[in-house]
Amino acid sequence: MTDQTTSITIPIHLTINGRDHSLNVEPRVTLLDALRDRLDLTGTKKGCDHGQCGACTVHVDGERVLACLTLAAQVEGREITTIEGLAGADGTLDAVQAAFLEQDAFQCGYCTPGQIMSAVACIREGHAGSDDEIREYMAGNLCRCGAYPNIVAAVRQAALEVAS
Amino acid sequence: MTVHNIRHANTRHADSRHGDASDGAVGGRLSRVDGPAKITGAAKYAFEQQLDGLAHAVMVEATIAAGTVRAIDTRAAETAPGVLLVLTPDTIMEIKGASDWLGNPPTQKTYSPLARTVTYSGQHIAAVVAETFEQAVAAAALVEVSYDETPAIVDLSDAKAGDGIPIDVMTKEWGDAEAAFAAAPVRICAAYNTQREYQAAMEPHGLIARWQGEELTIWEPSQWLDGMARTYAEWFGVPFENVRLVSPYIGGGFGSKALALAHSAVAAASAKMLGRPVKLVLTRPQNFTSYGGRAATRQTVTIGAGRDGKIQSIVHRGVNETAVDGMWVEPLASVTSIMYATPNFSSKQNVVRVNTVVPGAKRAPGENPSAFGIECAIDELAYEVGVDPLEIRLRNYAEQDPEAKKAWSTRQLREAFAAGAERFGWSKRSPKPRSMRDGHQLIGWGVAAGTYPVRRAYGEAIVRILADGSVEVESSSIDMGQGTYTILAQTAAETVGVPADDVVVKLGDSRFPRAGVAGGSRLAGVMTGAVYKAATSALDQFVGLAISDPRSPFHALQANTLVVANGRITAPRGDGPDVSIAELLASVGRDRIEATGDTMPANSSAEDRYKNYTTIATSVPHTEGDYSRHSWCAHFIEVRVDEDFGTVRVSRVVSALDSGRLYNPKLAESQWKGGIIMGIGQALLEEGIVDRRHGRIVNNNLADYLVPTNADIPDIEVISVGIPDLHSSVLGGKGVGELAIVGVAPAIANAVFHATGKRVRDLPITLEKLI
Repeated sequence: MTDQTTSITIPIHLTINGRDHSLNVEPRVTLLDALRDRLDLTGTKKGCDHGQCGACTVHVDGERVLACLTLAAQVEGREITTIEGLAGADGTLDAVQAAFLEQDAFQCGYCTPGQIMSAVACIREGHAGSDDEIREYMAGNLCRCGAYPNIVAAVRQAALEVAS
Repeated sequence: MTVHNIRHANTRHADSRHGDASDGAVGGRLSRVDGPAKITGAAKYAFEQQLDGLAHAVMVEATIAAGTVRAIDTRAAETAPGVLLVLTPDTIMEIKGASDWLGNPPTQKTYSPLARTVTYSGQHIAAVVAETFEQAVAAAALVEVSYDETPAIVDLSDAKAGDGIPIDVMTKEWGDAEAAFAAAPVRICAAYNTQREYQAAMEPHGLIARWQGEELTIWEPSQWLDGMARTYAEWFGVPFENVRLVSPYIGGGFGSKALALAHSAVAAASAKMLGRPVKLVLTRPQNFTSYGGRAATRQTVTIGAGRDGKIQSIVHRGVNETAVDGMWVEPLASVTSIMYATPNFSSKQNVVRVNTVVPGAKRAPGENPSAFGIECAIDELAYEVGVDPLEIRLRNYAEQDPEAKKAWSTRQLREAFAAGAERFGWSKRSPKPRSMRDGHQLIGWGVAAGTYPVRRAYGEAIVRILADGSVEVESSSIDMGQGTYTILAQTAAETVGVPADDVVVKLGDSRFPRAGVAGGSRLAGVMTGAVYKAATSALDQFVGLAISDPRSPFHALQANTLVVANGRITAPRGDGPDVSIAELLASVGRDRIEATGDTMPANSSAEDRYKNYTTIATSVPHTEGDYSRHSWCAHFIEVRVDEDFGTVRVSRVVSALDSGRLYNPKLAESQWKGGIIMGIGQALLEEGIVDRRHGRIVNNNLADYLVPTNADIPDIEVISVGIPDLHSSVLGGKGVGELAIVGVAPAIANAVFHATGKRVRDLPITLEKLI
């Protein structure tokens, strides 16, 4: 129906979970859609596409970032970590992942990668000092299944493990 | 199809609390077997499949609430970069009408998922398909629509809405309720409202559709593979067997993901028209109008009672909104008619048509708003007669089903009140409103009960004992977080006699043995029954072979039976060989034992089976036979209300629940807490707000439609008081998923009254209603 070459694409180089990726995408492609639609890294979830739910939380240079509000082109040359890159190279789970499983901190699992990425950062930021502090600093990640009490328990447990 | 081979999953770290073999049995606290995939990002949800040649579709929705589409100008969209197809009511292929979920034949020969006549804002009227998602989004914004707008009825309180249509089948009457009310020494009467609420599952609705000749594969989050496959088959005039629905994980449903919807038809049609697979995911705002949330409801509850608080009469009138061109009845008397003993009862219900998408099922449809009415009303009665709110519930305890006049199968509600009150410290409650405080915070303690019927149906499963000694289970049922993968692994493990780690459960593919809808809290009871039956049959075959095959090491024993436990087979007295399942299968030259089990009546025809799995017409009534079957719960909730600002915070929840036997308490407790949290949202936050000028939901996103966040939720304690109920299911469980939300909102409203002395009968309880 149309000339499909009229969309302008640009080459982008991304470092994700320690691996380099090159892709040609339109400048308007978000990091979230680049991960999910172009790189088959579907662990990062799209819940709202408006920065309201936290399901797309990833780390950029170690800090939590909403991938739906970040253009792929913005994060060239930065270290991106997604849920797929959290476990060790030998498959050993991160303390937060293990605590989520043990505390049953999820049901449907759709918000879970974002919760876990937020929780890792929350502990690293030093904001897991009390249950109330965890609730506040995890409040940007919605969970409609209502796993919140178990998420708090998991973050508390992981924070203690990380500290020890 | 999804495999969780937990033997190979890396759970080293996570297994730190394991090692208790009983975890894997039915009733054990086994961690989710699909957990490792979900916490590592490996779990691929339905529309995350990566397919070659995938095109992307975006819907265009109506911006008026009533009227007709005069013209759709697609020229700019059609020439936009990457656009493959622009669909309007005039250009979409013909789609046939499909039967409804009860199996009633279609009323129209054809079905148009794109509307010419608009009956609600947000209705789909066009779609754009392009090479990339970004191109489709950009082109969809170029579609120009002009309308001839007509006045809309925006909601129940619209002056044009009227009294609605009486739904006679909802009428329930016994005794002479009006006369008994008029004669009662104590009379209370009040109106209770609940608003439009949305399921707001974190995973949006969407799908990938692919045609290969006349075969259609749909990857779509689904609470009901076989029912949705039937709809697609009828829409496109292909045999049911030609449609494969795949839904390995579902990112939350809460009632919303059981039906194929208009956008589903558009995706499948565009895939057929293009000859390419098409992916269509609704935007978050579209998720508020592409399917219905809970209907707004209005109830009047009048109670006539003695001065001792004993109920003599209940008169109940209810109204729920429905759509201009679709019918939804939210049964508003479902709790009213059974919770308390009353010699006289009357309930009637109307529905009112407004310009909205057809409302739909949201967690405990009917029971949830019904309980808000009666459980607030009895609290009002308690204050009226000066009786403790817990005591008045015990005083009116229904020893049998007041409506069906049948014995309860099990009703641990008295036990729930006792356990919850004890744990909560109810006896320390100061009865007077505004009598408990902590500085500026008024403290209120409220109680309310909840219930949900045990809905039963039939299910089918295959159980295989494989050459390596592992066990495989297949079923087209689904896991949206309830824990189906896990409890079916536990059921097969216990029944066959292997560790749960040696069971692989495959769900979410309509090619597997069939299952009905995962709704109405019925799936666990149905499917544990089917897996139990199939596993028993596989085990019988296996033991029979071990006894009778001349090559078996047990052949010479001439035993009547053998013991299979922990993956090994032995003689009952331990006086013979001790071999593994794998060794035994090898010795008799078999690579597998396979059995199909279903819980259908023995003489069921193929047609009966098809109807059972693809409609809800064969659901077994909860009052069938001699018993009335329900789950029960009691919520004890503390709120803190800021005296100056009127802000309400829930600070403590203790709930005691009777779901019968729990197949896995760890997972059941999580579902209960989730229901309570959704109930807190309903009580304090959730409300679809209508722009009265345009009949449009204005807070159609997750920042403005407020669902509870982590910071809104305190510690929640849940206590199981259930006992096995074999009238309800094969293994003794009742329902879990919907029960716990029922009664939460009235417990909070009752606590707010206790804190403030203000009775808020209109949800959500927001600060302006308190100051």
